[in-house]
Amino acid sequence: MNDIAISTTGLSKSYGDKQALDGLDLEVPAGEVFGLLGHNGAGKTTTVNLLTTLLQPTGGRMMIGGLDGSSNPDGVRRIIGYLPENVQFYDNLTTLENLRYFGRLSGLHKPDARIRQVLEYLDFAGHENERVGTFSKGMRQRVGIAQAILHEPQVLFLDEPTSGLDPQGVRQLREIIVGLNHDLGMTIFMNTHLLSEVTKTCTSIGVLTAGQLRYHDSLEATLRAFPGESSLEDIYLHLDSSRVA
Amino acid sequence: MSGFVATVRHEVLSARRERMPQALLVVFLGMVTISSLIGWLTHRTVTSVWQTTVAAGLTTAPDPFAQATPLSYVGNVVIYVILIGALLAIVLGVSSTLRGRRSRTTDLILSRPVDVAVHLGAKLAGMALWLGVVLAMAATLTWLSISLILRGALGAGDTARLVSFFALAWAFLLIFVVLGMLSGVHGSRETSALLLPIVAWSVITFVLPQLGTAALPVSLLNPVAAVPVQGAGFALVQQVVGPFALAEQFKTLSGTLLGTGGAGSVGTAAAALAIALAVGLLALLGTKRDHLRRDLRD
Repeated sequence: MNDIAISTTGLSKSYGDKQALDGLDLEVPAGEVFGLLGHNGAGKTTTVNLLTTLLQPTGGRMMIGGLDGSSNPDGVRRIIGYLPENVQFYDNLTTLENLRYFGRLSGLHKPDARIRQVLEYLDFAGHENERVGTFSKGMRQRVGIAQAILHEPQVLFLDEPTSGLDPQGVRQLREIIVGLNHDLGMTIFMNTHLLSEVTKTCTSIGVLTAGQLRYHDSLEATLRAFPGESSLEDIYLHLDSSRVA
Repeated sequence: MSGFVATVRHEVLSARRERMPQALLVVFLGMVTISSLIGWLTHRTVTSVWQTTVAAGLTTAPDPFAQATPLSYVGNVVIYVILIGALLAIVLGVSSTLRGRRSRTTDLILSRPVDVAVHLGAKLAGMALWLGVVLAMAATLTWLSISLILRGALGAGDTARLVSFFALAWAFLLIFVVLGMLSGVHGSRETSALLLPIVAWSVITFVLPQLGTAALPVSLLNPVAAVPVQGAGFALVQQVVGPFALAEQFKTLSGTLLGTGGAGSVGTAAAALAIALAVGLLALLGTKRDHLRRDLRD
């Protein structure tokens, strides 16, 4: 496995005159839980869409697990897992049927055993034959995590994974994310605006404002570098206000 | 298992679980089943009237059904394919492509090593398989009902022509599946995605055939193709818009297979349907990734 899980150089995306992402230079070592912070419209989702090859960059380069996203997008797709924000899944199908489909698309020939193993790991066994349409948001997110890790990806991308979850759901998801990193050694790239979650989950953070990466360091170093600020929220506001200033 | 086969299986499973296609399927199969009975009762009633009239010495005309083939009993199936079958195909097609946009699973699919053309081709193959099973059931029911009416098994030649007719119906309905899939990809709202192909279907079925024929809208519900009006102007209009009146082209080919007759050139009809399907396939398989990812506005 490559030591650097995610590497971007001058990665950019523009829509006409609007620069959604402006020359992103970023390195995320393997085994990290990286939290990308930013307010709405900062370019977080664009960044994830580029890194997951859903969008074509208008400039720059990116490597995931040592594979070039532009010249080998299918190679990148084989080694990543992805959970978009607000994914609903197929309501008429059961958990097992949904996961079978995504497992097969990910190249698993007989996915059932692996699905049961993953559901067991996520403490979701027993819901295999229930239709996803009957699930709460938190339960859907578990199905979402399950589909994202079925094929044992090297890098997992989560776009606002705690969005819309109740406090209990947030806590459960946090435990899952930390577990995936600790137990399976998965590199996790997470978009979020919930600063409290970043403190409890991430090992390094980046702050994106107006499509530009304003800050990137380990969580520990960040908390040390801003001794005057009492929380990550204060640090984030400090960084964000420096952009305005 | 390849992504293609996985998507084919997924489409068949999803189509089986959705209510609207199921409701249309029940109506379609129900109408096909009673079609032979309706055809047989019609033959019997007309023949009875003819016999009474001949006995009374009021006519010397030959039996109107003397030349009719056993397959003429199922002539009405042609119109059920055009009306109910096409709507079923549109609903299947629209649902197939809207499903991913509605459930926001398109991004999940596209984040896997999936080629867009192969993915959409697999979706279409799934629908084609599902429709194939439906039409095979319809063909079996039709064969059984005609055999019951005849009090004996339908002959090999007629069976072959019946199978050919349902194969033709399958190809005809695929055009509407593709139309529905395209609308599901490009429609900005769920409602317009479903409405647009239905409008296109009504134009194809009811508006275009009237341009160049003397057909009244209600007469277009006949299972035989409308006769073009004589005259240079009408002939020109018919030449231009006629090939696009796909339902009439289907009626022409069906009339030949079922022995119910009708207007139109078999070659032109076959070419029109083949070209329509090919153009639809090219448009569908040429869909860009970004088009698939567009959010619905409702």
